[in-house]
Amino acid sequence: MADAFVQGLLLVLQWKAFVFMLLGIGVGFWVGLLPGLGGATTLALMLPFIYNMQPVEAFAFLLGMHSVVATTGDITSILFGVPGEATTAAIILDGHAMAKKGEAGRALGAALASSLVGALIGAGALALAIPIVRPLVLTFGSPELFMLAIVGLAFIASLSAQGARGMLRGFLAGGLGLFLAMVGQDPQAGIGRFTLDTLYLWQGLDLVPVLVGLFALPEIIDLVVRGTSIAGGVPPGRISHGALEGVKDVFRNFWLTIRCALIGTFVGITPGLGGAVAQWMAYGHATQSARSPEERSRFGAGDVRGVVGPGAACNSKEGGALIPTIAFGVPGSTSMAILLGGFFLLGLVPGPDMLTKHLPITFSLVWTIVLANIITVAACFLLLNRLTALTAVPGHLLVPVILVLVFIGSYTSNSSYADILVTIIFGAVGYFMVMAGWPRAPLVLGLVLGKIAENYLYISVARYDAAWLARPVVLVLLAIAIGVICYPVFQAWRARARSHAHG
Amino acid sequence: MLMANRASLGLAIVIMVLAGWGTFSALDWPWKAKLFPLVIGIPLFCLAAAEALWELLGARGVKRTTADFQFSGDQPPEVARRRTLLATGWIVGFFAMIVLLGFPLAVALLVFLYLKLQGKEGWIFTIVFTAAVWGFFYGLFDMLLHLPFPPGWLLEWLV
Repeated sequence: MADAFVQGLLLVLQWKAFVFMLLGIGVGFWVGLLPGLGGATTLALMLPFIYNMQPVEAFAFLLGMHSVVATTGDITSILFGVPGEATTAAIILDGHAMAKKGEAGRALGAALASSLVGALIGAGALALAIPIVRPLVLTFGSPELFMLAIVGLAFIASLSAQGARGMLRGFLAGGLGLFLAMVGQDPQAGIGRFTLDTLYLWQGLDLVPVLVGLFALPEIIDLVVRGTSIAGGVPPGRISHGALEGVKDVFRNFWLTIRCALIGTFVGITPGLGGAVAQWMAYGHATQSARSPEERSRFGAGDVRGVVGPGAACNSKEGGALIPTIAFGVPGSTSMAILLGGFFLLGLVPGPDMLTKHLPITFSLVWTIVLANIITVAACFLLLNRLTALTAVPGHLLVPVILVLVFIGSYTSNSSYADILVTIIFGAVGYFMVMAGWPRAPLVLGLVLGKIAENYLYISVARYDAAWLARPVVLVLLAIAIGVICYPVFQAWRARARSHAHG
Repeated sequence: MLMANRASLGLAIVIMVLAGWGTFSALDWPWKAKLFPLVIGIPLFCLAAAEALWELLGARGVKRTTADFQFSGDQPPEVARRRTLLATGWIVGFFAMIVLLGFPLAVALLVFLYLKLQGKEGWIFTIVFTAAVWGFFYGLFDMLLHLPFPPGWLLEWLV
């Protein structure tokens, strides 16, 4: 284990992997600043470029990029009150309020330092979880792994939207993803399913064109509709003043930072909760730390604890989210679902192999998170004054550049015009899903998990017939899935009952 | 009926049709191939029917509850609709340009036309920006990564 831990570091420090990590950090750095371009979208955009990379290089690139997006996303949220990422919205409440009070530097310093502490705690949790999770995973057979896929889908479908209606839509999106995963040649009987008599669809729907269309095109359309620069014309000024005071704030509230980082890690581990939840939960906890009503009233008006808590949680969730992704193949978020696609593109299967044969690669992910965050925070402090200029670039300069990247990214997956057509079709699907208020994450998860789930279901039925349903772990996982589905309904019922009792 | 409700109803109906067709097609396949389509297709059809019925018979204008990206609502609906159509036109138009002229020409043409027509930029800036983007595209994807870009149907036909 210790050997693999050191080997993981050495793998990341190889010059090629390190250069790719720096490249990823560079991309993630700017993507985080741009509210119009999400971390998940960029992961999808960058997936086609990993085909020719070694696994360590590819993960250094993708994870290096992804683990810094939230850090720089906080900068846009604090400066402009515009969330750089969906996951960095909670930090606006006090961060932007501090910026308006002339304490932008202090808020940014606090956000950057707490992000770094959070990222280190998340990476530590990932490293510590590996020896605990490994024996558990090795006892899992096909029935248990099939049920895990169902639990993952149940989590993301029921929690990515609120209420019974939201849950129904979540399950519909997840089911659609599973249905789309069936397109192509059936792996068991060799029959072409839903191929519309086209050769292109025989190999199934490629993940990249679908993801790129689903996530990037609706955001491009929104940028055109807004017709402004991304930040809406807010002028950037000198903001570095007071940054050191913000760093000190993190250490003044060190235990709050640690607790919020642990909240973020827990949210990351739980499939389906998502990064946005992590920041809000941490913000809620930070407000609870106020000792008096007067102290609590400062939150929302520029209390630095409202910056420190969400900042730590947002970055610690990445290490946490990697735990179920690597160990069980159950991604904790949309980004992890896309990253899971990266595993398959590289020929790696999440699960037992990642904790035995490929353990050094798994530890290289831990080191990538650590190094990427240290480098990013250092770069942010150096470039604080220049960072925000890009958010003022007019939308009409960004749209054609992003569109070119989207279409090239899609085309390179199979070098076929049909890839671009698939991107446009799924762009329309994504657009209507956003318009209708349907969550897109379950669709991605269904598409990613579909083939694995089918394979495990087939093996389970072929080997155990119906008896696989009576295996103890399967029953426990089934109970968890039912609990996950029923809990939001129960919660809504309880809230209604309470309001009736009070009203 | 609100746009969001219409979009939701449309999506539910499309999924109903897809799931129905998938389930019906799977009935003729050997059990190895039809197991998963039936396990997924039947519940999916039922869920989509429930959503469609909810949309048709339930309350209108249900508030958004999704933890996902949402369109900005700071433009009047008419302007938003017109600009959405415009954006769709650019996306589809770019695809048509790629198919007809090939990637290298289409990239330059898209950037140039977008800056000139949509951004109303001056000639010099448009030309310099187009050249920079095209240089980045050509340098990275063609010279460095050697990605194969076919010349486009129109150019193939002409040559």
